[in-house]
Amino acid sequence: MPSPDESLVIIGIGEYHVGNCPMSTIGLGSCIGLVIHDTVRATGGLVHIMLPDSQGRTDRPGKYADSAVELLVRELVQKGCKPTTLIAKIAGGAAMFRTTAGSLNIGERNIEAVKNRLKSRGIPVSAEDVGGNVGRTITYYPCENGKILVKIANGTLKNL
Amino acid sequence: MLNSQQLDALRELGNIGAAHAATTLSTMLMSNIEMEVPEIDVLDIGKVHEHVGDELSAMVLFEINGEVSGGGYVLLHIPKNSVIRLTNAMLGMSEPDRDLTEMDQSALLEIGNIMVSAFLDATATLLNIIMLPSPPSLVIDMPHAAFQSILAMQEFADINEVVLFRTELHSDQHKITSNLFLLPNKPMLDEIVRMLENLMK
Repeated sequence: MPSPDESLVIIGIGEYHVGNCPMSTIGLGSCIGLVIHDTVRATGGLVHIMLPDSQGRTDRPGKYADSAVELLVRELVQKGCKPTTLIAKIAGGAAMFRTTAGSLNIGERNIEAVKNRLKSRGIPVSAEDVGGNVGRTITYYPCENGKILVKIANGTLKNL
Repeated sequence: MLNSQQLDALRELGNIGAAHAATTLSTMLMSNIEMEVPEIDVLDIGKVHEHVGDELSAMVLFEINGEVSGGGYVLLHIPKNSVIRLTNAMLGMSEPDRDLTEMDQSALLEIGNIMVSAFLDATATLLNIIMLPSPPSLVIDMPHAAFQSILAMQEFADINEVVLFRTELHSDQHKITSNLFLLPNKPMLDEIVRMLENLMK
């Protein structure tokens, strides 16, 4: 098993990281933090998705739900992971502004788009903390059975 | 995205708007308000988290309506402890360690309305147009989560850069910090820059 790199990687909007070090996304609102974790190899990836559909755009695959799923799967398979041992965990997709109709749509559309793409790839969603109207900061620990710590603004923590 | 002359013009616009907002806050608190020089950063969307964090804060959000194309928002951001000190100062209370209540929410909406109206009035007057704030939305949560949601609403599919336009206002007497953010989308930013360039001709 590879030794964990203890430095925390912070992943901004549209960015991703694959490896076995802890990784984090700060302040997910309508965005989604998608983790695809290899249950056998204690490695995985985290991507910070902003919008549901790339509509064929290829410049930033991590920004869109459809291309982000493909991106993580491709990177993990390249590192030797078997698609059959991959699981997914998702967090985010909130509606931060209840009076603004558009934001609600984007969060929910993001959740739906990620789930659809995972389903078509045959990757099960093993845990999720999505929707609602709270922001979330998540930290993913590939070497601790793919644990995800979700923090909300009032400081409450939960494991995913 | 913007040259230095355009940045200077925007900074001046922000200066005038924020100065008017600061005056209203000063009147409400009966205290001096210090104002920093507006910061304008052109950022990649992936770097927004380096400027806007996840510490519990209140944000009062207004959509900009009126005689300007495109879309944009003005956002008043106040960290939680400053919100409590602000409400306490306004209502003559002294209870520094408490949770945010409905009282704070009312105070925030009131202050947000007054400050943002002043900000938009002053900038619109300079540009010689009418700009009006929508009714406010109040969010008490992580600033990055709010910003990120605004970006997602602003048709940022093809845009990977965001203009972060921030002015800090603070009261040393009451130890209150607040930030006014202007978040125009690309069409609105382009039009404001064009108006400013016409003014300077």
